Amino acid sequence: MIRCQDAMKRLWEFLDGELPQAEESAVREHLDVCSKCFPEYDFQRTYLAYVRKLGERDEAPPELRRRLFQMLLVQDGSGEGH
Amino acid sequence: MSREAMWARVRMAWDMLAGTRREVAAGRKGDAPPPPVSGEAPALSVAGFQDEAMPWLDAVYRFSLRLTEGDGDAAQDLTQETFLRAHRSWHTFTRGTNAKSWLFTICRNTYLHDRARVGNQRERPLADLDPGTEALVTRSAFGKPAADPEREFFDRLIDDQVVRAIDDLPDEFREVLVLSDLGDLKYAEIAQVLDIPVGTAKSRLFRARRLLQDRLRDFAVEAGYIDSSSSRGRIQG
Repeated sequence: MIRCQDAMKRLWEFLDGELPQAEESAVREHLDVCSKCFPEYDFQRTYLAYVRKLGERDEAPPELRRRLFQMLLVQDGSGEGH
Repeated sequence: MSREAMWARVRMAWDMLAGTRREVAAGRKGDAPPPPVSGEAPALSVAGFQDEAMPWLDAVYRFSLRLTEGDGDAAQDLTQETFLRAHRSWHTFTRGTNAKSWLFTICRNTYLHDRARVGNQRERPLADLDPGTEALVTRSAFGKPAADPEREFFDRLIDDQVVRAIDDLPDEFREVLVLSDLGDLKYAEIAQVLDIPVGTAKSRLFRARRLLQDRLRDFAVEAGYIDSSSSRGRIQG
């Protein structure tokens, strides 16, 4: 099994889904049994979920949609983008 | 105007006026954009732009909002300019590739170009960080587990504090963090948007997260939410 230090070095790549399968399995296996690393994993997982949810709260305002639509129609009618 | 083109415009108008959101749910990196409303759209047409670019309007707006440090008017202008430029350059986009990354690239380039034009000197490059901040960024202590439940740290923070902490990050850290953690781009896509090597994108992202977490921890300690001995989030880089 990999050491704590190696698991922690790969933690963000693990959470981001960017590790090759073999390394991902090794980290997962370590986290399953390591009481020292699991809380850090849980913290980072919570952080990512929190920030991603926070990012969802801002939507493009309706007036921007309307204005952009009108401008795109004008631009499209002029033949630009074709 | 052909019947097909007319219906494409009607469909686009309906989507935009109704504020239709066809973005994928957040939290799943690398997802493909949602399927088009109709079948195969004419190549390089407004309908094609609608199906592949417009679903990312909210995502581009959010990215703009963070680039402009929360300035809503500036973010609207930046989003608008991004989509107008994207529409004008639509013929250069390779259909079926990642439209979201492409739009983020245009958005960032537009932002940098405009900022240079108006002589905005807000950028605080890494080299200009004061020693204390640099020490925070590079800190990699791996301390003992905290007694507090993990979620309590975030539950007790106020969203606006977190947004402000993100907006206050130096530009090079803010943009990489926003692209990844709010924009759901993969490392390779971030590297493409920023025109930097993947390894650089990755290490910059990790430093950005450490910096943000340190600042959030400072907020929480100052407010008495957590004990200053709490060591969560200080993983090794």
